[in-house]
Amino acid sequence: MEQELVLFKHNRKHRPVTFAEYRKEGGFEALEKAVKKMTPAEVQQAVIDSGLRGRGGAGFPTGRKWSFVPRDLPGPRWLICNCDEMEPGTYKDRLLLEHNPYGLIEGMTLACYALGVRHAFIFIRKGYEKAAENLARGIAEAKGAGLLGERILGSEVSVDLDLHLSAGRYICGEETALINALEGKRPNPRSKPPFPAVKGLWQGPTVVNNVETLAAVPAIVANGPAWYKGLARIPEAAGTKLFCVSGSVAERVCVELPLGTPLREIIDRYCGGMRDGKKFKACIPGGASTQFLTADHLDVPMDYETVAKVGSRLGSGGVIVFDESHCLVAATLNLITFFARESCGWCTPCREGLPFVKEILQRIEAGRGEERDIELLREHIKYLNYSFCALAPGAMAPVDGLLAHFEDEVREHITKGCCPLAGKGGN
Amino acid sequence: MPKLIIDDIPVDVAPGTSVLEAARSVGITIPHFCYHPALAIAAACRLCAVKLLDGPVKGIQMSCSLPAQDGMVVSTTDPEALKLRELVIEWLMINHPHDCPVCDEGGECLLQDFTIAGGHSRRRYRGKKRTFKNQYLGEGICHEMNRCIECYRCVRFYQDYAGGTDFGVTGSAGRVYFGRFADGALESPFSGNLVDICPTGVFTDKTGRFRARYWDYQFAPSVCPRCSVGCNTSPQAYQREVIKIVGRRNDQVNGWFICDRGRFDKGYINAPERPREPMIDGTPASYDEALEALTARISEFVTVNGTESLALVGSPRLSLEGCLLLAELAQVLDGAQLCYFGDASLARGSVAAATLLNEQNAASMRDVEKADCIALVSLDLMEEAPMLALSVRKARAAGAQIYLVAGTTEASAAPLPFQYRTVGSLDEVPFEGGSKGVVVCGAGEQEPGVLAQIASLGAKLVLLQPGPNGFAAGLLARQHGAVSLSEAIAAGKVKGAVAFEADLADALPTGFMVLGIADWQACPPYRDAAVFLPTTVWAESCGTSINFEGRAQRFEPALKAGLPLRGLPEKYYAHGAEGVAREAAAVSPPAHPPRIPRAEIPGGQERECWRVIAALAEKLGGDRIAEPLTGKWSKLQHLDPEGGGVRVFSL
Amino acid sequence: MIPEELKIELEKQVASAVTPREAAVDVMKELQAHYGWLTDDAVVEAAELLGLSPLQVEELATFYEMIYRRPVGRKVIHVCDSISCWCAGSEELTDHLKKRLGLQLGETSADEEFTLLPCCCMGMCGDSPALSINGVPHGKLTPEAADKLLEQAE
Repeated sequence: MEQELVLFKHNRKHRPVTFAEYRKEGGFEALEKAVKKMTPAEVQQAVIDSGLRGRGGAGFPTGRKWSFVPRDLPGPRWLICNCDEMEPGTYKDRLLLEHNPYGLIEGMTLACYALGVRHAFIFIRKGYEKAAENLARGIAEAKGAGLLGERILGSEVSVDLDLHLSAGRYICGEETALINALEGKRPNPRSKPPFPAVKGLWQGPTVVNNVETLAAVPAIVANGPAWYKGLARIPEAAGTKLFCVSGSVAERVCVELPLGTPLREIIDRYCGGMRDGKKFKACIPGGASTQFLTADHLDVPMDYETVAKVGSRLGSGGVIVFDESHCLVAATLNLITFFARESCGWCTPCREGLPFVKEILQRIEAGRGEERDIELLREHIKYLNYSFCALAPGAMAPVDGLLAHFEDEVREHITKGCCPLAGKGGN
Repeated sequence: MPKLIIDDIPVDVAPGTSVLEAARSVGITIPHFCYHPALAIAAACRLCAVKLLDGPVKGIQMSCSLPAQDGMVVSTTDPEALKLRELVIEWLMINHPHDCPVCDEGGECLLQDFTIAGGHSRRRYRGKKRTFKNQYLGEGICHEMNRCIECYRCVRFYQDYAGGTDFGVTGSAGRVYFGRFADGALESPFSGNLVDICPTGVFTDKTGRFRARYWDYQFAPSVCPRCSVGCNTSPQAYQREVIKIVGRRNDQVNGWFICDRGRFDKGYINAPERPREPMIDGTPASYDEALEALTARISEFVTVNGTESLALVGSPRLSLEGCLLLAELAQVLDGAQLCYFGDASLARGSVAAATLLNEQNAASMRDVEKADCIALVSLDLMEEAPMLALSVRKARAAGAQIYLVAGTTEASAAPLPFQYRTVGSLDEVPFEGGSKGVVVCGAGEQEPGVLAQIASLGAKLVLLQPGPNGFAAGLLARQHGAVSLSEAIAAGKVKGAVAFEADLADALPTGFMVLGIADWQACPPYRDAAVFLPTTVWAESCGTSINFEGRAQRFEPALKAGLPLRGLPEKYYAHGAEGVAREAAAVSPPAHPPRIPRAEIPGGQERECWRVIAALAEKLGGDRIAEPLTGKWSKLQHLDPEGGGVRVFSL
Repeated sequence: MIPEELKIELEKQVASAVTPREAAVDVMKELQAHYGWLTDDAVVEAAELLGLSPLQVEELATFYEMIYRRPVGRKVIHVCDSISCWCAGSEELTDHLKKRLGLQLGETSADEEFTLLPCCCMGMCGDSPALSINGVPHGKLTPEAADKLLEQAE
């Protein structure tokens, strides 16, 4: 079945699509349609009706987020594209931009039109310099063609896009911390409320959206919200999603699929199944801060609500597959080590609680765990929910999944006094 | 007015009040570290967790950042909230060192208090504690980073509240570090407040290090004598020594903080050179002998030269009681010249300021904070009234325009912690009629005409006095038609003086007789040629002073005057040096009181200056004075030192 | 001291940013590229360019993974130790690099050629295990492929 692609529609093999190719294949027609024939409110309504949800991990309805920006507040308003993709297991935004920076550029310009934004930023993580180069080139090309900058396509609409390069910290992906980072402050998150839509960048109304989210907007405007919604596999879902797979699959691919595609299909059909004849043990469906899914969940349709119903989250769509040779205690320890290291250090539960959990998992993995450690982990799963931002609760999701589905494996470490799998990371 | 229920108690609070403050208003203390009423909300420590059982919000919430709303039902004792609070303490204890026995904060430590309150006791964490290297931060503050619980109060105070730029937070995750770019003294003149604000022992007062425990201290409400702002302080004394001075809350004046001068400039109280013995011509005598001698000399002088030849000199650092009784003494010696100032220009400015101010136009610190437009004229703000600079900073943060009138303001060593524009003259400052404008001016040495002109602008006024009680000195000088000593001398009649906590000019004319000096400082070169009567400093005194805005505040003695036990001279020990050596052998360092019962405190003969003046007045034929605050001042007799003070315009 | 051309370039960058602070990370990166690491002097220079105090620059510099406040070798190797690379054998890769370079994580070789550091997810999960050398990413690294890479780098 040849499926309709939105984000990867213009992909070429082994090189990015060119500006000319993108235009030839319909690129920037949505922008032209919007500035010449639609009002900003109509563009916003299209996004609302499309059912598009944030693709960075939180899954918040995009049109609704845009609607929080007050219509009549004076002063500049801002759009920031969150390209701080540092959720372990997630590499879709990098590939998207390495294949086609223009989709994002057009999507951001459309969003700026809808929101009344004059000056937008793309916040790019360290290590994504190639994507940044593509974007810089694309912005220059778009400007040169009158599709960006002053008076786009002869209209009254002017939009400027600037790149802002970060220097490496996972917390910068949290939207209020990102805003602080952009302002040149220490990237601690801010209290919400006030929400960025009301008070964000330099205290002005601000919308922060993920790369993949914004890159979907041109197709929504060009083909209409009903079309976009209908692309999904199940009625309650809307549109397509990039799923980037890693771990124990034969081919680690990033593939665009309708939301609601079953997990089994992603692994078997698009990744060539498990590698080397290994058996599926567990997977993380949406990046490091989501709960493990087990073999019982292989038929779950991959969409926000359906995955949430089985106790996990769709998250970023970064699928990490584990086989029977992977010790999940060791895997969880690896994940917690990441989160503990990336804590910004603002609030007590995250700064102190995550190293506490890491120490417990280290001892369990090393065969020095005790019965009471399980209760200790449960306390932390519950009470790390009360941190200042979502990093700590996200960090505990794998621990939650570990105890929910693999408590036996944990107990085996404790009773045997060693790792039954010798902690292999796999090879 | 939100109405809510906290632990079954109905509470009614002003809109915008947090649940934490609402609870405090009915006597419930919710444990907290990062929250501080003077600082912006951080909600970082997560200790102030409560459970909302019903109402517009439900579940576990941080009470410091939750505004009270109608219909909220709050439980501070819900098991989930208690558990979270216990865990927060446990998490902090993962790294907190076992320093209590050697930490100066002990006994006045929020971490100790809330750890006990939180119920955490046994350590379940098996890992190691993180440690840090400390920095040298100057002579006032000790740095002990291992104790840090990362509440971020220090950096929020230092940078946001006080505008400092050389201290902050570096690193991330568990390595966050609160310090400077490199070792070196903290540059902010408000850095000492880190000692008060840190909830653990990271920042402790180096000048009082390892001297006493909090429960050993004697302290009382006092007022800082270093400038005319009159910040409220609490000198903490032990064994007749002021060990450290901490800020005391006064919402009308200094808020929660004091400047470093008021905190650390206390050497004068316990300096070994402080004159504590009454003297007659350089020879020690008893207090009564000295009083008698001075009485005799005054009587002799006025008999020979006439009362109009004698000047009775007070100063802007003499208490209100002293100033009032000085006028009484001048009446007893009918015709004597009453002076409240040494220098003519200081006198003129101070008198004019005290005269021009009234209830409507006298700006308080709070008025400055709420001003739209502030002009700084003729003053070195960081030198004359540092805490006022923080009020101006607050106004600026709220959007006020600040103007420095150029050419008349000296720049001192410390930069002003706010943005300002420089203008050539006061005319260029756009005070709009009726708008909230404030002019801040140093009144001392200012021409009265200039001050009157400033007063006519219609803005509120801050006219800083040349001393902590300058307002009273100026007010009384006007009331009694007193002139400055230099003017009195220039007029030709005055040939001699008695000084009461006054700074006599070094250049007195030859042949001028200083008959007596009552003071707590050394006052060379006159001391040995006169009768010297040692007085108590404000920290040792009961008294009243009036600050720049006409606010009377009471201070009480934090300690009895006397020689500190540490370094007590040999003569107080049995068998002199041998006795000291014996004490030293018994206890090291020798800090045990001498083992000789004594009725008097060693070196403790100092008296409050107003009592000295009263005694002289009585000996010279006046009535016995039991109460210095009489007439319209009697309303200040029972002024509550913790009550924020009261403006005197209505008296 | 940075050369005059670089200083002018950076001043221009700071002036064209929405606020000077917004350009802070860029300025630090440029100074680091010039000196090899962000030295104490570089922090002071950055402060002057940005109109901040050295402490205010330090607050930012010490937060980020890619700003080095200690000397590093000419080639900084960051090995990803996040979950996808872990699944693909990053522990073995790291052990191999440690042996080959004779370094523990965090150390710099005596000849100041290599520094070996861990880093978090590089976004190369499909090409794991991955590392970067001076910020240039490389994926699908077996120990042999890593050896070849290091030989080329030398």
